[in-house]
Amino acid sequence: MNALFDGISAVLEPTTMLCMGIGVVIGMLVGMFPGITATMAVALASSFTMTLDPVPGLAVLLTIYVAANFGDRIPSILINTPGTPASIATTFDGYPMAKNGQAGLALIVSALVSAIGIIASMVLFAFASVPLAKLALAFGPSEMFAVVVLAMTIMISISSKSMAKGLLAGMIGLFIATIGRDPISGDARFTFGIRDLNSGLDFIAVIIGLFGIAELFDQLLTHRPHSQKPISALGRWWPTRDEYKRITKPTAVGGIVGLIVGIIPGAGGDIAGLLGWDRAKSLSKTKATFGKGNIEGIAASDTASSATLGGSLTTTMALGIPGDSVMAVMIGSMIVWGIQPGPSLFVNQPSLVVTITAIMVIATMITLAINLIRMPMMVKLLDMPVHYIWATVLVFCLVGTYATTNNIFTVVVMLIFGVIGLILKRCNIPASPIVLGLILGPLAESNLRRSLLIDGPTGLISKPISATLITFALIAIVAAVLTPVLTKRRNQKIAQES
Amino acid sequence: MLKTGSGDNFLSPDADVDELDFTAKPSRTLEITIAAIALTLSALAYYLAYNIELRFDPGGINARWWPELLSLIAIGLSGLLLVASLTVSEISRGDVEESNADGWSRMLKALALTSIYVFAWAIVGYVIPTVIYLAVLLWIFGLRSKVGLIAFPVITTGFIYLLFHYMLRVPL
Repeated sequence: MNALFDGISAVLEPTTMLCMGIGVVIGMLVGMFPGITATMAVALASSFTMTLDPVPGLAVLLTIYVAANFGDRIPSILINTPGTPASIATTFDGYPMAKNGQAGLALIVSALVSAIGIIASMVLFAFASVPLAKLALAFGPSEMFAVVVLAMTIMISISSKSMAKGLLAGMIGLFIATIGRDPISGDARFTFGIRDLNSGLDFIAVIIGLFGIAELFDQLLTHRPHSQKPISALGRWWPTRDEYKRITKPTAVGGIVGLIVGIIPGAGGDIAGLLGWDRAKSLSKTKATFGKGNIEGIAASDTASSATLGGSLTTTMALGIPGDSVMAVMIGSMIVWGIQPGPSLFVNQPSLVVTITAIMVIATMITLAINLIRMPMMVKLLDMPVHYIWATVLVFCLVGTYATTNNIFTVVVMLIFGVIGLILKRCNIPASPIVLGLILGPLAESNLRRSLLIDGPTGLISKPISATLITFALIAIVAAVLTPVLTKRRNQKIAQES
Repeated sequence: MLKTGSGDNFLSPDADVDELDFTAKPSRTLEITIAAIALTLSALAYYLAYNIELRFDPGGINARWWPELLSLIAIGLSGLLLVASLTVSEISRGDVEESNADGWSRMLKALALTSIYVFAWAIVGYVIPTVIYLAVLLWIFGLRSKVGLIAFPVITTGFIYLLFHYMLRVPL
């Protein structure tokens, strides 16, 4: 009861509420501007939240995560360009609705179902995270290593177009994590006599480089001016009673899809949105109009993509395994604050878990309220010249990185990783597995070493839980390799038959 | 194909594919080069891991073995990539978007300017280099409005200084 009271009262502090307000503004803007992803914004914000206490800092980061999930729907609906990948499926019915003079209705339905999705997922977090953490508490080094392997392989198999490139990216991340002093013997590894490298590479600098600078440089390379003007005739806003009835079923379908997808490490709102839209279409009586401005389509896709947030948070907090790329960045910030996500968090700091839940719920309510006020300014912001956004993001990346250590060496590291990230991006090598490897590297190494010392080389396969998890990891790799081959063969067969 | 914020492409139900397809052209030579570089770097990583200096070698599991293991797996994966790039019939660049005509020039200028700025910041301090940096950056990005080139850098520099130096107590 004390944990509940402490957790909620920490959120109601004026500083925390102010931080949430700042997070809502940043998150909405981030979501609205195509090209700036929630991961990039959280990475950037994590640099200047380092100087804050953990609760206000988490309030900023989590609120950006939530608000970006609302803001990214606006350009999807008004200019047919998703603000972040999570709103890809929103364009399918959102933009056609806007073209039909129902932009206001699409925006309101999207905001309502997004809020429903997040709140439902937070209920899942509240009920599922404690049992999951209790189960994880019983894990020994073999099991923990197996969990890390499983999480990495699932994330890589989902997020990478090429399994080999994804695994290679994971290896790069794990290798970068070895830079610095060996945690057991204290031997210097890959420091080349540079004193700044003794404690390893600054995590925040690496992620701002990979997600901030690399993304921005890629935009500088590929940017083409918009030919599409935002739709300004917004039409009516509120759904009729019949429309509320129509969106009930697709909202439920999307919600279930989102909750399941959210739990899987690496699978985020983009995958959930597409799956939710597809499932709702197949179960709808009006499937012929899906993709042509059907209100059920937008309800399903937006509930599904939003409902991943709580599932992702559950995996992150209960197991210490990031549920998506935003959570990977968030774990980095939490470690800097001295908070180690994972099963022990629920034992050591139960009030913090309550605080996180309260922040997510309050942030959802505030953002929903702002969306329902229907600010016409939102539409005007979409016309903002892109060079101001680029310059602002670039200078914030530089100053934000400097703020983490007050050392210009960190800024140089960040720039180097920006260039590395751009090269990897152009080579179609994903950045998310690198960050995952960087976060999970010390956990994987220490647990594997302990497992080998305690149980010997057969420990990983002789224990039932670790053996099962390793088997699942192998299945994930084999499935990711075989699925495209089998799909191609099936398509060829269908083409030959027809 | 439409372009998402993160660089992902997707196909919406009524998208005009031919009109909006900006996906980069596949190149076997590029894929072979990527795999060859990955293989070389993985081998270099193994060499560096093998040569980690140990103050005390207990034998077996020491500070070397984990980086050695990772680099050996990376060598294997790079080898697989190389074989795939030589043998696979269909080469794909995935979601990578074609670079724009003036994209490389814009990006390289921004990178060079940023490197100079970081150097200047370390020597001169934050305020003056940042104002000049932002103004030149906006010029590179295509802004030609005199008001914008002066007002935006001054306001942004001032705002960041207030935010970081006074509110977050970061000594800029």
